[in-house]
Amino acid sequence: MVNVEEIRDYAANLLGKGEVKSVLGFRRGSASAFAEPCTITDVGEAASLVWDPTCLNNLTLYLVKDHKQQAAAKTPDNRPVGIVAKGCDSRAIGVLLQENYFKREDVVVIGVSCEGTGVVDPRKLSAKLKGRTASRVSFYGADGINVRVYGEETETVIPAQEVLADRCLECRAAIPTLNDIVFGEAVGAREFDEPFHAAKAAESLSADERWATWEHHFDRCLRCFACRAVCPMCYCPECVVDSTTFVVTLGTSAEEKANRIRWCERSANTSESAVYHLTRAIHLAGRCIDCGECERVCPVNIPLRLLNTKLEKEAFEMFEYQAGHDIEQASLLSSFRDEDPNSFIR
Amino acid sequence: MSNPSKVTKAEEFEPRIVAFLCKWCSSAGSDLAGVSRIQYSANATPITIPCSGSVSPMFILSAFNKGADGVLISGCHPGDCHYMEGNYLARRKLYLVKELLQFIGLESERFRMSWVSAAEGAKFAEVVDEFVEDLRVLGPQNRLKAKR
Ligand code: SF4
Ligand code: SF4
Repeated sequence: MVNVEEIRDYAANLLGKGEVKSVLGFRRGSASAFAEPCTITDVGEAASLVWDPTCLNNLTLYLVKDHKQQAAAKTPDNRPVGIVAKGCDSRAIGVLLQENYFKREDVVVIGVSCEGTGVVDPRKLSAKLKGRTASRVSFYGADGINVRVYGEETETVIPAQEVLADRCLECRAAIPTLNDIVFGEAVGAREFDEPFHAAKAAESLSADERWATWEHHFDRCLRCFACRAVCPMCYCPECVVDSTTFVVTLGTSAEEKANRIRWCERSANTSESAVYHLTRAIHLAGRCIDCGECERVCPVNIPLRLLNTKLEKEAFEMFEYQAGHDIEQASLLSSFRDEDPNSFIR
Repeated sequence: MSNPSKVTKAEEFEPRIVAFLCKWCSSAGSDLAGVSRIQYSANATPITIPCSGSVSPMFILSAFNKGADGVLISGCHPGDCHYMEGNYLARRKLYLVKELLQFIGLESERFRMSWVSAAEGAKFAEVVDEFVEDLRVLGPQNRLKAKR
């Protein structure tokens, strides 16, 4: 069992010695039983850190934000940032290091092993509780989650398999492999579900059936870009799908407007949203570490993980590549092997 | 100009192909097909690119979005790349694009890749002819096409 006191002490120590400028972690949320991300900068605040199955977020996003802030700051603070990281979060940091987004010495990874469980999926939990709200959610053990409901005295144990996030059910590396310290036991694969099983199931449908599903999803997309905003890998300053540097003013000539490359329109309709999602999926090939954040934040429940895991499945099966596992390795799309598939080429 | 993909009767449908051809090989291959007076379908619009490795998946998506019935990428045979390994990088990247397009339900015949050298005019003509025949069977591409 992870002892949260140890995490607090470690964070306090780092801050106390001035080894880091801040620690990214989780604290108790004010709105519900779910934890919220926080940045702590002084020793006293370390006591508010928590660790339980409601620590959903991939905090790596805030490393990226910090990096962008420091790059724009007049007097950047270049001390490292501490970060509480689950297995998936540490892989996200791994991808960023592999891409030289920042350097290893810029981050202190306070790893926490999910120890054979993981984080709960709020949607599954609320379905389970049938409208009641959880006031406390904690680990029971390897295969159970303790839940206490508002206004009730007793805790119920729900089998982990029924409320864990989909990605946790098929997680293959619950221990943060990239770390400066790890709290909790080194329990690796979860194996509640076979990896990539949803993508495999979708593959077995006919092309017409698959299109019917995706047309329905692309049609519903609001283009709110929450999926892009939450993804630590979507850090490009300018995204191809919304060219922000092309500003149409009174002085923009008709020719300039006509010659501008419009990869896709910003309007939310099926074909434009399809281009957005396919572009994003391919851009994340070999980079998505399956934190499931994009799917979690989507207001209309588009199964975004499915697109990404399909490509991660190909990367794994065809190219023996796993995102974020080896920071020394060349990235998926900047490397090749002679035995890569060739038979599809005429 | 008439819009071929608006025509519904199968025999009148003329597939529109956007063909991205590597400047060093396939583009020269298509030239050779022309100067050798090989008869082949005129349905492909060639776009010369520096290397098949320079193809961004956005080129392909954008072509489909703007109404292409099929997209062809053609580069140098493995080992013959002017930039040493551009076509190997293309092979891996475009394999993933192909998988992704199939996964969302675009008919798998609509995206094609070939290796055509500067000396293979006849092969280029063959690849295009074959592609056109396959697309004729499938009919117009409406799945990713923008509804404007
Ligand atoms: S695409 Fe989604 S699952 Fe993948 S890294 Fe980004 S937020 Fe996480
Ligand atoms: S979060 Fe959902 S609705 Fe918003 S842009 Fe992404 S897929 Fe579309």
